[in-house]
Amino acid sequence: MHKVWAVVRREFVERVRTKWFWFSAIIGPVLSIGVIVFQIMQTVGGGVRHIAIVDSSTSGLGAPVAEALSATRFVATPVAAHPGVVDSLTRLVSDKQLDGFLIIDNDLTETGRAEYRASSLGLQTIEDLQRTLNRVVVKARLEGKGVNPAVVDWAQIRIQLDQKKIARGQTTAESAGQSFAVAWVMAILLFMAILIYGVNVMTSVLEEKTTRIVEVLVSSLRPFQLMMGKLMGAGSVSFFQFLIWAASFQLVIRLRIQIAKALGADPSIARNLQLPHIPTPTLLVFLAFFLGGFLLYSAMFAAVGAMSSNEQEARQAQLPVTYLLMISYISIIGLTNNPSSAFARTLSLVPFTSPIATPVRWTAGSMAIGELITSLAILAVAIVAVTWVASRIYRVGILMTGKRPNLKELMRWVRTA
Amino acid sequence: MSEPVVVDRVTKRFAGHTAVDALSLSVSSGIIYGLLGPNGAGKTTTLRMIMDIYEPDSGTIRLFDQVGGGRTHSARIGYLPEERGLYPKMRVLDVLIFLAEAKGVSRRDARAKALEWLEKLGLSDWRMRKVSDLSKGMQQKAQFISTVLHDPELVILDEPFSGLDPVNSQVLRDTVLEYRRRGKTVLFSTHIMEHAEKLCDRLCIIARGKKLIDGTLAEVKRTHGGKHVIVAFDGSQGDARRIFADPRLVARIQDFGQEAELELANGADAQEILRALVNSGARLSRFELASPSLHKIFVDLVGPEAATAAVIPEAAERMRAGA
Repeated sequence: MHKVWAVVRREFVERVRTKWFWFSAIIGPVLSIGVIVFQIMQTVGGGVRHIAIVDSSTSGLGAPVAEALSATRFVATPVAAHPGVVDSLTRLVSDKQLDGFLIIDNDLTETGRAEYRASSLGLQTIEDLQRTLNRVVVKARLEGKGVNPAVVDWAQIRIQLDQKKIARGQTTAESAGQSFAVAWVMAILLFMAILIYGVNVMTSVLEEKTTRIVEVLVSSLRPFQLMMGKLMGAGSVSFFQFLIWAASFQLVIRLRIQIAKALGADPSIARNLQLPHIPTPTLLVFLAFFLGGFLLYSAMFAAVGAMSSNEQEARQAQLPVTYLLMISYISIIGLTNNPSSAFARTLSLVPFTSPIATPVRWTAGSMAIGELITSLAILAVAIVAVTWVASRIYRVGILMTGKRPNLKELMRWVRTA
Repeated sequence: MSEPVVVDRVTKRFAGHTAVDALSLSVSSGIIYGLLGPNGAGKTTTLRMIMDIYEPDSGTIRLFDQVGGGRTHSARIGYLPEERGLYPKMRVLDVLIFLAEAKGVSRRDARAKALEWLEKLGLSDWRMRKVSDLSKGMQQKAQFISTVLHDPELVILDEPFSGLDPVNSQVLRDTVLEYRRRGKTVLFSTHIMEHAEKLCDRLCIIARGKKLIDGTLAEVKRTHGGKHVIVAFDGSQGDARRIFADPRLVARIQDFGQEAELELANGADAQEILRALVNSGARLSRFELASPSLHKIFVDLVGPEAATAAVIPEAAERMRAGA
């Protein structure tokens, strides 16, 4: 056990010392800061807008529009329509003394048309303007037909749909968008981690083989011990990576108010940022299936490394394994769109796709406990079987040199090792 | 006397050929034992089976009078494989510690010993550098340290002199001799007879996986020697070629031109040849009764074609195992 521990430690320390490890460790937090900063910046960009309203309508619609707009995040000033007003306002806009101006006339109530000119046309601004104009115009039209203004206001109360998800009998406050995003991010993380760390195992096996150091190792440890030491070492590196990501993400969320202040945004906006809530069971499912998927695929990658004698060969030989993993990656959209379909169910039972499919279905809330256990059990059996086969290929392969074995020879290795 | 290595009728087959064929040998404690043979004779395969890298198809291997091969006793054995290599991207000190730990040495001991050896072989300043930064000669030294760092009782060296520069060759020879002086056992393989002749207490010659002879150097020379005469000419060779061709006098000859090594025929008298040479007008600078060189015995035993390796093409390509 002491010997296996030495292998685990070497694998861990040498990996953590590489530049790549720290590069990807930093990429995670940078991205999460990026997401938060992006959200805050959006609200900053949608800050107070100073606009003018050129009103040439006979009904004097400019005043109520200015009033309604000033109730939101606009400072709107009505100006009288006279020849040359558009030119002088345009000059103000290019001098940045004004964000833009709205031109309304009788067309607004008749055909519902108005014009907005500005130096920058933000989607949010346009939507806000349209919504406000809509309210004012609808009110004006109805009042024109003799409807009580109070009734009009009451009739215009917008509908707000509160979203609650029922997952395994419990009602949570998660929206459709959120659970979709969590499942999506999870699937991508799982795919990347399994692929990257699986390939790491492969190159590490290959390095020991090509430097022939494996001979000394195999004379002190059983090949199976060596392989398991490697898997455990590489696995703990990826766990460490996740830990760094999780911790830094937590830190960024805690500091989000300070970040908002530093960016000159309203701190209350940062406080209300929509943050996906990940319940503990989901986290456990994620970790369990990451571990399972990693073991399953890394064992295969180790065998690939053992049967190749240089990097080019290994790159070719790893393709079948990578394709197997790609199946679940390609299916992510199908999985998240309809997590209860027969397709999704099948993927969550097949051990080569379940490490990604099951956490996605679980997060989407469409999986019963029984199904989860079945999926996990099948995965466990597959890990044992695949590791058994892989360790036999590994055992023969690491001492071989020369051309890569064909399928028939591989079968013989498995039988006779 | 205890026997650190006993190989008993061990056979190993690889796809289509038998690398080691019912080979038995035993190495007693405190000696330098040479395993000799041409390339492809099965030396490396034998050592790998002793080290538990390969499992024999049949036969048994006992180390230190206990059942079990090298893996069980890895803390007591130092093994230098034929093809050398260290992790190129690791620091020298870390590699040494790791390899010792893999043999079951505690981390602290490994570290202390590694530093000691690095100092001894002049690599102290390089301990925190990557292996790939070292010159080839320094890498050889580092590899050698990794073999002996844990102060093993038994050292197994596979073609230890191949690829070594003269300085490291000398370091290796000195260490091997020092090991014997301290009562430790050295088992090494080589196809270079000069090394064997200088170092070995006992030896075993194998070819095509089979043992041809074993014993002490003197025993081997006695059994396989016959009477040998070395003749060197100084100018005229007289009628030497005709005399050497006489089967009543000379059984076999290795002719080097100005010098020849003769093996006398049964019942022949060396003095008779000397007389015949002088009478024929040959001028001699040397006429010496000698025991045969190990090289001569080796070539006689394995034959010139085996001395240039028995290669089974497919198998040799698939596994460079059978050295």
